Amino acid sequence: MSDHMDVADDAAFEPKVWDLGPETEYRFELDPGMCLVIVVLRGNAEIFGAELVEGKQHVFAGECKAAVYTWKGCSIEVTGRPSTEYTSDETLPMTAYANLHIAFEQMRVKALAHLRGSPIPDGPSRVTSESPRVLVLGPENSGKTSACKVLVNYAARSRMGWVPVLVNTDPREGGWAVPGAITAAPVAAPITTPSASLPLGAAASSAPTINPSNALLPLVYCYGHTDVQRNHLLLDRVIRNLGASVGDRFEANPEARSSGVVVDTPSTFAAGPANTASVRSKLIRACVDAFKINVILVIGHEKLNIEMQRTYGSQLTVVKIPKSGGVVELDPSYRDRILNMQLHTYFYGESFTPPPGLKLRSNAVYGGEALSDLVLSPASTTVGFEELAVWQIGEKSLAPSSALPVGATRTVSEMQPILIDPSKPGSGLLNAVLALLALPADGDERERYDEEVLDLGVVGFLVVTAIDIPRRKMTILSPSPMVFAGRTAIRGSVEWQEQ
Amino acid sequence: MSVYNQPPAQQHHYGYRQPMPPAHGHHGYGGGYRAPPPPAQHVYQSDPAAFRHVYSTRLAELTMNSRPIIQGLSMLAQEQTRYSSIVAQCIEAHIRRIPPTMKLPAFYLLDAISKNVYVPYAAEFTPFVVPLFLETYDLVDNNTRSKMEEMLLTWRTGSPVGKELFGIGPQVAIERGIWGDGGNAASGSSSRVTPNQVMSELDFAIGQQERTLQSRPHDVAMQNNLAILHQLHALVAAGVSQPELKQILNQLRTLMRNSASTSAPPPIAASPPPPPPPQHQAPYAQPQNHYWKQDLYPQQQIPHPAPMPAVKIEPASALLPAAGSPDILSMLTNLVKSGVVSSNGTPIGAGSSSVQEIPDEKPDSDRLESRAYRDSILRHSVALTTSDVTRPRNHLIIECLYDTQSTQCKQCGQRFADSPSGQKKLEKHLDMHFVQNRQASQQTGRGHHRGWFISLDDWINDTVDVKGKGVDRGPARGRAAEAADQVKRNEELRAMFVVVPPGDEAKSIRCPICKETLKSEFLEDDEEWVWKNAVKKDDTVYHATCHSEAAASATTLVTRLIADDSSSRSRSVTPETNGRIASPRSSPLKNIKSESSSAATLVPGSPSSLAGMKRKAEYDEDGAIRAEEAPLKKVAV
Repeated sequence: MSDHMDVADDAAFEPKVWDLGPETEYRFELDPGMCLVIVVLRGNAEIFGAELVEGKQHVFAGECKAAVYTWKGCSIEVTGRPSTEYTSDETLPMTAYANLHIAFEQMRVKALAHLRGSPIPDGPSRVTSESPRVLVLGPENSGKTSACKVLVNYAARSRMGWVPVLVNTDPREGGWAVPGAITAAPVAAPITTPSASLPLGAAASSAPTINPSNALLPLVYCYGHTDVQRNHLLLDRVIRNLGASVGDRFEANPEARSSGVVVDTPSTFAAGPANTASVRSKLIRACVDAFKINVILVIGHEKLNIEMQRTYGSQLTVVKIPKSGGVVELDPSYRDRILNMQLHTYFYGESFTPPPGLKLRSNAVYGGEALSDLVLSPASTTVGFEELAVWQIGEKSLAPSSALPVGATRTVSEMQPILIDPSKPGSGLLNAVLALLALPADGDERERYDEEVLDLGVVGFLVVTAIDIPRRKMTILSPSPMVFAGRTAIRGSVEWQEQ
Repeated sequence: MSVYNQPPAQQHHYGYRQPMPPAHGHHGYGGGYRAPPPPAQHVYQSDPAAFRHVYSTRLAELTMNSRPIIQGLSMLAQEQTRYSSIVAQCIEAHIRRIPPTMKLPAFYLLDAISKNVYVPYAAEFTPFVVPLFLETYDLVDNNTRSKMEEMLLTWRTGSPVGKELFGIGPQVAIERGIWGDGGNAASGSSSRVTPNQVMSELDFAIGQQERTLQSRPHDVAMQNNLAILHQLHALVAAGVSQPELKQILNQLRTLMRNSASTSAPPPIAASPPPPPPPQHQAPYAQPQNHYWKQDLYPQQQIPHPAPMPAVKIEPASALLPAAGSPDILSMLTNLVKSGVVSSNGTPIGAGSSSVQEIPDEKPDSDRLESRAYRDSILRHSVALTTSDVTRPRNHLIIECLYDTQSTQCKQCGQRFADSPSGQKKLEKHLDMHFVQNRQASQQTGRGHHRGWFISLDDWINDTVDVKGKGVDRGPARGRAAEAADQVKRNEELRAMFVVVPPGDEAKSIRCPICKETLKSEFLEDDEEWVWKNAVKKDDTVYHATCHSEAAASATTLVTRLIADDSSSRSRSVTPETNGRIASPRSSPLKNIKSESSSAATLVPGSPSSLAGMKRKAEYDEDGAIRAEEAPLKKVAV
């Protein structure tokens, strides 16, 4: 019996060589528990704009769905059995990304020249001398995040060594933090995509890393929900706060500004039921204002393109780009699994154990890192109820203001922070994901205000793993040890349980 | 001499015992760069002979001063510390075998390995370094000699704790061998000082100042310092009397000690300037991070940007009002007072014999390059319109991302421009990997955790260094912070002491690791005699710094061996106290009880079975912890 099994395992890990012509790609999708090893034998290959190193074993797992693209042609050796694999030469979006990169590169060098006071040569280039500040919009499964990654990765690969800021406003994705977070991070080296739980690279940990995009330093604000509609006023405010901080960063270092910004958005900004149209346009407006957007990319959505042209065509550039044929339709449970995986990865790191039968060489890499040091150890702390103040924003079951009778005002608004009493049964704190807020800046006490908790950045995420009401204590899982006394946290609607 | 019977003309075939392996495709590092091949660990996993073969073969490629080769060889040495004796044998044999013109790069390799992987390599090299150095010194030309002297000076403080790299004995022996008795400052100020020795120390100081100046090109004080040093150099070259020489040397050493003391660990005992304590003769700036010292290294393909347009020797009177560093100024004033330097500041022979600056690149070559790139990228016409962005112009992107950046880092895939500044960035980048690899090998077995996000202020003001892309990892994880940690750790270690048992006050004991005498001191407060910088383990007293270092390296070695041997590469969870001997205030979180029950957790849909370690932290119920909240205000990881 075991003999038979061994044969099957060996067959699963029989390497297969794919020869890719210029401007074609090899697309693969992994189901849960699967892994894939790709080695570039010859030529240049990249995944979402991040180049693979020839000869190294690149490992992919965690339901990764990606494509190995080549500009000049390459041979790759693939080990493992993905649920789907095929090659395609319908790669028009890559042509569009390439042209966009050249145009953005022109904007960057012009912006830098302008800043340094150098003369800008006359030439055929018609772009402005502002750095590119790009908003990417598109419906569900149109490849927005992939487009953002390619554009950011190409910028980071430029000989000018740009460090663009990648902004994620999709609360369902959570960027480098956890779902519910709105984030921005400077990206100095290409972001790799080893799994679906690290779509944008990883936030810094104490583990040694080789690739800077696995040790990113994001700025994080808390929205707290995965659904954009749930409290769009809060989302609007959080986006504007993040935009102001990005602006401050550029203010502090003008040369960094020339690298530009790329803003990824949730699909719910682009399309949705008719009654959400005003909310959608308000949130797009918030992004355009907050990040001083000068280019909007609309991916494969004609109606939205026209809408954007009408609204913003006079003040900025709107470009429609084609949707990739390789985009995968995702099943509903996929997002839930990814949410779980992301939270697990945030606390415990990404661990990859090669399945039996798969032989890896010592130079195998997972997202650019050696396979050994990927596991993280979170801390679990018991804290008294009175030590950590947990707030929530607005009332939990709140009818939207618009549903109230005309003329009526609400006693509790969507934006009002409410302190949660953990000693009340049904506080809903167990398993809740909390955003631990930064301490307010030292300064004049009079400058403190009631809604301050809405505007503070997040230093990390916590999970309440146990509540002991009689002893007035709760157990908190945190990424690193921390003293919680006197700190403030916000609870949203995201929950997580170690399973 | 018979050892070096190969004339330099036959460089291609000087006697290799082993034939070149046929399929080892990395020959010819010539002018262009090719990354050192990834260490093929599996090849010599358990075979010393195979390792010896690989190492000596790669060593044979070190025929010129090439930083990538030196780096590759020292990385290999670092990865295979268990074969340290083989590495040492190979290097010694190599240096003895090659013609004099090729010896310097090999010494640079020896220097790099022993500084960066101090344990165990420094000890491996110590037995032969003195004769090897002196024999080589005799054979090489004057130019190489001065380079060797420069290197020798860095050895004075080359060990991780800022002491002699190979111990005081060998250091003194070499210095005596090349400069006579005067080389050893500890032997007293009565001994003779040779002009050569002063010249090399001056060269060394000048080089150091120039390097610092590169990072701070507008530092007027530094430029003045440099001008004065050049002035002194010219003075010595022109010839001065013995007492003057001695005076210059002493002043110079005092100066260098002072200028380094900001970054160097504080001297244990501050003694009056003239004969400086041997372990601090010429403390080098940044002793924590030895790798960055290695600007000794080959820069010939890519010359240094000139620190200043030209070194002009100005009259001292013009320099004085500029009020730069008081040290240099007082040094000059002292020398003027004593009549060594004439009061108008122009030494005899000035200008005629001052150091020959290699004609360097213009400092703004980076700018010129980026300007050229700007012009080339702006030549293309791409409109940001829906129809124009899908028009195929793929040659542009290929040119931009691949063709003009043909050198690629073999470790991470990052590409670098085919230009002098691209090469420079590549070197910096390789340095970064080197440090990363070293850190990774030192950190195996420690528990890691996700950091807290940085504060808004840090985020706004931290700007990743655009030029050295990816080198900076933010303020909290930066090298400066690490260096500061190291300094702090060293300070804590040095503050440790062992009480001398009653009656043993007069006894002198030696640290079993460095073989040096432990210093005893009387503590006024406790009214006790103690050994400073000391720790007692199993009834043996060690230097706290030596013990910590040895413990740390033993741990990494052991864990590395475990990790290498088991195919699963399982992580051994080593208690964090290793190498970090209980310091009184190590962490405000000392109440955390480490509990190594591995809570295996599995998330559905997660790629693998996950065995994370969970650390339990329990706090005292009274708010004792709360009082310590303040220092944690800015937790930024």
